[in-house]
Amino acid sequence: MSYAFYPGCVSRGGCPELYPAAVKVADKLGIELQELTEVGCTGAGVMSRDLSDPINARTFAKAEQGGFSTIMTICSTCQGVMTQANHRLQNDADYRAQINKTYLAEEGLEYRGTLEVKHLLWVLMEDYGVDNLKAKVTRQLTGLKVAPFYGCYLRRPSDLMAPKGFGGRKTYLEELISLVGAEVVDFGGKSKCCGFPILTANEENSMRMVSDHTGEAKDKGAHCMVTPCPLCHLNLDGNQPNAAKKAKRAIGLPILHLPQLVGLALGFDEREMELQRHIVSTEAATRNIKVNMLS
Amino acid sequence: MQTTFKVYRFDPEQPKQAGPASYVVELPDSASIVDGLTVIRDEQDPSLAFRANCERGSCGDCALRVNKKGVLGCTTRITDAIGKDRIITVEPIRHVPVLKDLVYDMETFLWRKVKVVTPWITPQRAEPDGNYTVSEAKIAEVRTAMSCVMCGLCDEGCTVVAVDSEFVGPAALTKAYRAIFDPRDSRHSERLKAISEPRGVWDCTHCFEANGHCPLGIEPTSRIFEIRDEAIRQGIRSGVQNPKVRRHYDSFVKSVKKSGWLDEGRLAIESEGLLNLPGLLKLLPTAARAMARHKAPIPYLHRRRPGAKEIRQIIEKAEEGKP
Repeated sequence: MSYAFYPGCVSRGGCPELYPAAVKVADKLGIELQELTEVGCTGAGVMSRDLSDPINARTFAKAEQGGFSTIMTICSTCQGVMTQANHRLQNDADYRAQINKTYLAEEGLEYRGTLEVKHLLWVLMEDYGVDNLKAKVTRQLTGLKVAPFYGCYLRRPSDLMAPKGFGGRKTYLEELISLVGAEVVDFGGKSKCCGFPILTANEENSMRMVSDHTGEAKDKGAHCMVTPCPLCHLNLDGNQPNAAKKAKRAIGLPILHLPQLVGLALGFDEREMELQRHIVSTEAATRNIKVNMLS
Repeated sequence: MQTTFKVYRFDPEQPKQAGPASYVVELPDSASIVDGLTVIRDEQDPSLAFRANCERGSCGDCALRVNKKGVLGCTTRITDAIGKDRIITVEPIRHVPVLKDLVYDMETFLWRKVKVVTPWITPQRAEPDGNYTVSEAKIAEVRTAMSCVMCGLCDEGCTVVAVDSEFVGPAALTKAYRAIFDPRDSRHSERLKAISEPRGVWDCTHCFEANGHCPLGIEPTSRIFEIRDEAIRQGIRSGVQNPKVRRHYDSFVKSVKKSGWLDEGRLAIESEGLLNLPGLLKLLPTAARAMARHKAPIPYLHRRRPGAKEIRQIIEKAEEGKP
């Protein structure tokens, strides 16, 4: 099982605990990752697609050149932007030819349109497989109540992110939480926007989304939240103190990255998953995990 | 088919009694939600208020929340809406001031926002003799948006409208798109500038909720992306009152041009503005918390990735291609 690994900017920037957690988890599971080191930012939905589509086409071409059929991401936003760009490039041969000719030919590259882009969550649930993953769990996270938070771009547009035959993607996070022995705390905000994309344009609205979602999950009894998106993490964790202050309420809900939750179940301890680097302390949450080593 | 409707009732003269009322009605399987409401009104309670007009999905009057989902009442069959409990709940859509029962104030919810985007075409020249012909290729882009019936269901599902009723919203932006991309209109640039001001197009989180909520497949979020791309092509990256949006965009692109990836520390500082002392001071508590956990990205000391030169060339070439 081998993937071209696209870690994204934030997993080594604002959320530096994500990159090592993902790599350790992949290594423990025997998922072979070869990092794409010469490629650029996806544009994160910020850059005009006139600029970001050629950059993403270059990333896809580099992965194809390396003999890969699939790129693995660890960020809902990278996943969404790349899926959308890939859709345009794969379904419009004229557009792909124009991008290849104008932007990639000079470097001797060509995107042939063969790549698939998959988030770690999809890789775990579709490629690695639930049974194989279950077999690797050495520490059931019994007692931990976890609220899922997907990040918009892993859910929508639904015809691209959960196409026919992949409807299960809408509940993978809940399935994964159960699979590692934790309890799912379902709440209305789980597939909503975290507000990060408008942090600059309208901080007030952005903070309101943070306090609404983390507050709702907390009120429903969650000990922590898990997200496959580091941009959501930046807002839900990094800005949670600001959001709580604006909402005039205490929240204190720790936000785990997806690989951290999986890592804890694979036997890594809290420091190995670098939970101490989170803004909202995870200590009280992880104390809820009952001691129950399977091996 | 015997069907139980739980319909939201609200009488402005007795607001404390607002809530669901149950009605059991006999309907054919092919009946719509509007058919059901009509039977309730005609046979059981003539005081029930709801809006419905064309009964074929082309006027947008009967947007309702049925079993917690925004739909057009006339094109939704009871057999599609009915839940496991055999009950159909019918409520007004969210984020609207309710006037009576299922009738809500569209002026506050939507019309005032649509007026802001001046939803009519201002032609480039006087109407010629005979027809004003536009090629199929040029009008094809806007044809989908032209089919919008202004039902407001995209706003009902909008993640920003949910927290801010003053956000212009996807329905009005779709209307703006229709004019911005119409070859007959002469005010493209002015329109882009107007919707770039606060609570306009840059306040959209581009979360794609609107695409899923539109009953006609117009994909309002996709239209918003096209507006943003067009604005950037025309050098419009914010309004006059929200220059931070422009600074954020410019810093983002500069960062990727320089190193191939995003310098988040630089982005935070430059978005505020290098000379904006109050703005920079505001960043300090968040930065201090991150520094205490050894996770604050150090601005400007950003390692250039291999391939950065090629990525810069791509961006420069794409920027040259702007009209």
